[in-house]
Amino acid sequence: MKRQTDYGLEIKPVYTPEDIADLDYAKDIGDPGSYPFTRGYHPDGYRSRVWTRRMTGGIGSSKRTNEQLKQFRAMGQTQGMLIICDRPSAMPIDADHPMGRREAGVLGWHATSLLEFEELMEDIPLTGQSITLLGSAPLSALRLGYIVALAEKRGLDWRKVHGSVSEYPFGHIFGQTDNLPLDLNIKLWLDSTEFIVRNKLHIRSGILTQHFQESGGNNPQALAIEIAMLKELLGKLVNERGLDFDDLALIPYELVSVGSRFFEEIAKVRALRRMYAKMARETFKAKTDKACQLLIAVHTSSRTMTYQQPLNNIARCAIETLAGAIAGCTAIDNACLDNAYAEPSPFAARMSLNTQHIVSDETGVTDVTDPLAGSYYVEYLTNKVEEEAYKVLKQIEDMGGMIEAVKQGFIKNLMRESALQKQRDIESGERLVVGVNELVIPPEEDDKIPIQSVEASDSEEIADRMANWKKTRDIPLLKEKIAQLYADSKKGYDFNLMPAITEAVKAYGTAGEIIGVIRKAYGYHYDPLEMINCPFEL
Amino acid sequence: MSNNQRIKVLVSVIGLDGHFTGAEIVSRYLMDAGMEVVYLGIYQTPEMIVSAAIQENVDVIGISSHAANYEQINLLMELMKKNNFSVPVMCGGSIPPQDAEALIKKGVSKIFLPHSTSESIVDYIVSIVKK
Amino acid sequence: MVDSIVEKIVNGDVRTAAKLIGDIDNRVPGTREILKALYKHTGNAYIIGITGAPGAGKSTLVDEMVRDLRLQGKTVGVLAVDPTSPLSGGAILGDRVRMQRHSLDEGVFIRSLATRGQFGGLTQSTRSVIDVFDAMGKDYIIVETVGVGQDEIDIAKSAHTTVIVVVPGMGDHIQAIKAGIFEVGDIFVINKSDRSDANKTLHDFKAMIDITRKRSTNGGWEPPILMAEAVNNKGIVELLIEIEKHRKTRKALSPESIIHNKKAIAQLELIDMMKIRLVEEVLNHITNSLEFKECLDCIVDGTKDPYSACDELLSAKLPDGLQQS
Repeated sequence: MKRQTDYGLEIKPVYTPEDIADLDYAKDIGDPGSYPFTRGYHPDGYRSRVWTRRMTGGIGSSKRTNEQLKQFRAMGQTQGMLIICDRPSAMPIDADHPMGRREAGVLGWHATSLLEFEELMEDIPLTGQSITLLGSAPLSALRLGYIVALAEKRGLDWRKVHGSVSEYPFGHIFGQTDNLPLDLNIKLWLDSTEFIVRNKLHIRSGILTQHFQESGGNNPQALAIEIAMLKELLGKLVNERGLDFDDLALIPYELVSVGSRFFEEIAKVRALRRMYAKMARETFKAKTDKACQLLIAVHTSSRTMTYQQPLNNIARCAIETLAGAIAGCTAIDNACLDNAYAEPSPFAARMSLNTQHIVSDETGVTDVTDPLAGSYYVEYLTNKVEEEAYKVLKQIEDMGGMIEAVKQGFIKNLMRESALQKQRDIESGERLVVGVNELVIPPEEDDKIPIQSVEASDSEEIADRMANWKKTRDIPLLKEKIAQLYADSKKGYDFNLMPAITEAVKAYGTAGEIIGVIRKAYGYHYDPLEMINCPFEL
Repeated sequence: MSNNQRIKVLVSVIGLDGHFTGAEIVSRYLMDAGMEVVYLGIYQTPEMIVSAAIQENVDVIGISSHAANYEQINLLMELMKKNNFSVPVMCGGSIPPQDAEALIKKGVSKIFLPHSTSESIVDYIVSIVKK
Repeated sequence: MVDSIVEKIVNGDVRTAAKLIGDIDNRVPGTREILKALYKHTGNAYIIGITGAPGAGKSTLVDEMVRDLRLQGKTVGVLAVDPTSPLSGGAILGDRVRMQRHSLDEGVFIRSLATRGQFGGLTQSTRSVIDVFDAMGKDYIIVETVGVGQDEIDIAKSAHTTVIVVVPGMGDHIQAIKAGIFEVGDIFVINKSDRSDANKTLHDFKAMIDITRKRSTNGGWEPPILMAEAVNNKGIVELLIEIEKHRKTRKALSPESIIHNKKAIAQLELIDMMKIRLVEEVLNHITNSLEFKECLDCIVDGTKDPYSACDELLSAKLPDGLQQS
């Protein structure tokens, strides 16, 4: 069995003060609440606020997801909600697209119109809890429009809504469904983020490494990529959109994937806080402490959840939740015991929420902030993962930054090679996974668990409803708003499309239509799959 | 099989699934085992996969599925039947037992579950192509 | 049997053609007879070679060319060649990824091929596949290869127009392309020309071409250098226009030059064809013999060295007169 970190660093049997002899407490670690924030952002940690304990929701139609959300609330999830969208919405194409019809509502909520958001939020408050809508970058601009439109309809001030509905433009490099060309994706991200900052909304944008790691990337690579993405994206907002970094710093949040190698995962999160703080201060000359703090949420790793003996995943989930809690985070959502099968069943969702409460309420982990600080081993790991991350970051920056590294295939290569290595380690038995290459049982004796499923007929139903509903819209109004959006899209890369998108959303323009028209204005085919034509005369 | 012959496998992700890593890694394993892999990538409709398989005259089709879109695989099987084109179709990914069973009934020749070894995939392909 | 296959292919039957190409690639006995019968149906297609180092964006360029040619109503065959892994003998043929949007278009036939690389068989199979596409009645045949080996240069030589693709900022990139490729290039494309160092590449490139290109037997054709951004469909129309111009220049050559060129190509192809058959047949003959197996055993148990084994086998198996080289 290998005794190495996930990136191949040999691990010694014991660590002593010598291993961290150069460490300067005030400079490198600092108290919780002080720069460089290795120990976290609040002096009294979870005593002031326990992390948001939430479950991932989103399946089928908006009505079905609304029911699921109400169930979650009844189970005790009231601090915040996290809903993911289906693949057609992520592309984005509408449910009534020939391909949308085949997959609408599969693996997530079908989210391509304001109508669906209204149905999702029926009898659920828009304020007083954090609203997180995940899945796909191009849809971010629409989701932001949904929030604005629904808040207006409910007579609420937009600024009262808090959460995160925007997502980074690199997800498709890491296996997320999204077929918008990278440059356009980045433009829309800049537009929506600028809109958030200028309107002082309390909405964040996920700049995530979760997908990179779930696709096989290792810890230092993830850190390097997170910093590289932030540098490039925030840098563009400062340099191209003229925004102040200290205002911008309230935008990004990171969803880290936390796996089962306990100490390394804790070290990774601690290193990330330090790296971000240094970047904010050194690269962007951040003026306030707040601007040196990257909001970090934790996702217990889907990759570690096995298909074989799924009940074992409860143990993995508990260990990873504890690691995330010790590392310090603002929210945790779990990959559930049935993660290798489907979206969480009510049984799995309850297990995962309960797991979080067992960790927060029974273990004492919320009593003390950053309890592993000063551990020779953990401080050593924190230093090493950071050191290694800076090496990868240098390679990316030598290429010209994240976008260029993506275009040259460097990022995908990192991920592929690292994933291949992990698979080889399991095949060779260098890494043991219970139920997979250790303590294996015959399939017929395996755990039977309930599976959450979506039938083909459900997708058809969502598609038919959309096709019929589309005809009932105020077509002249819609055409007017679409024409405006098209005209704005022709006004250049720096012309912000958010106002026009929001107007089109309010007129019940769909994701397929809105993104399609922008694509068309930029010379791409209206339909990302090139199967249908633009229904508007432009 | 003579020196000049190679097993030719089509590997694709189907439908709107964006997860390409699994398919790429399997492609790499098959290449290392001496096979020729026609890799189609993501966002492939069943229609596109069948057409490519015919043009490329492949021996086997491998579909990676991580997005529960089994309806697309069903359609692929129906299309192959309709086109009178029959080569073995194998699927790999996180596919729950009942869905795996339904796919086998539809004519899928083999399902590889998560953490299947590269050896088991290679051995299986060699055994069905030799038949 | 042969007749019915030929008839189907001439009528454009995809299944039959796909199967035949597979047989060509696998050197299935009997394929030769079909190719002989098919030959009289060839000679109508215009063949474009696209060559350049890995990562130059060739497949995307081809994809865009196919799109534009289809808009003009032309039918297209694409032959995408990728290298075989020298270690395993396997290959990942990934060029199709960029062209899959044409897969449902009946006017487009895309076929991937691995170099395999035994006895220079690539040139042979490629030419045969081109013949199949040609006999199917494709207006254009685009052959995409990695421009690094002698085989690729030979393939480029048999195209009517050869396009060399490079990207800016990679000096090594140009170095990686075998120098000989500059001699056969009819059109040069600097792809990804939105990169900041595109102009520098243009200058380097001009110098390079001037040095390598010594003579002009092409009716005064001066190879143009084009800027393109294939991913954004920029420069494709211009490329197709240049290809058309080159086509016309070729047509306008003097009858002597045309015959001279045709002879040169015929000689190249014939020598290739013979080379492969000779090597293959002689080697097969030797490696299937009892003596060969005995020699192997002797080398393994240390009673014979490979140098002597080689001499002995050749003197025993080759006809007199061929033994001394």
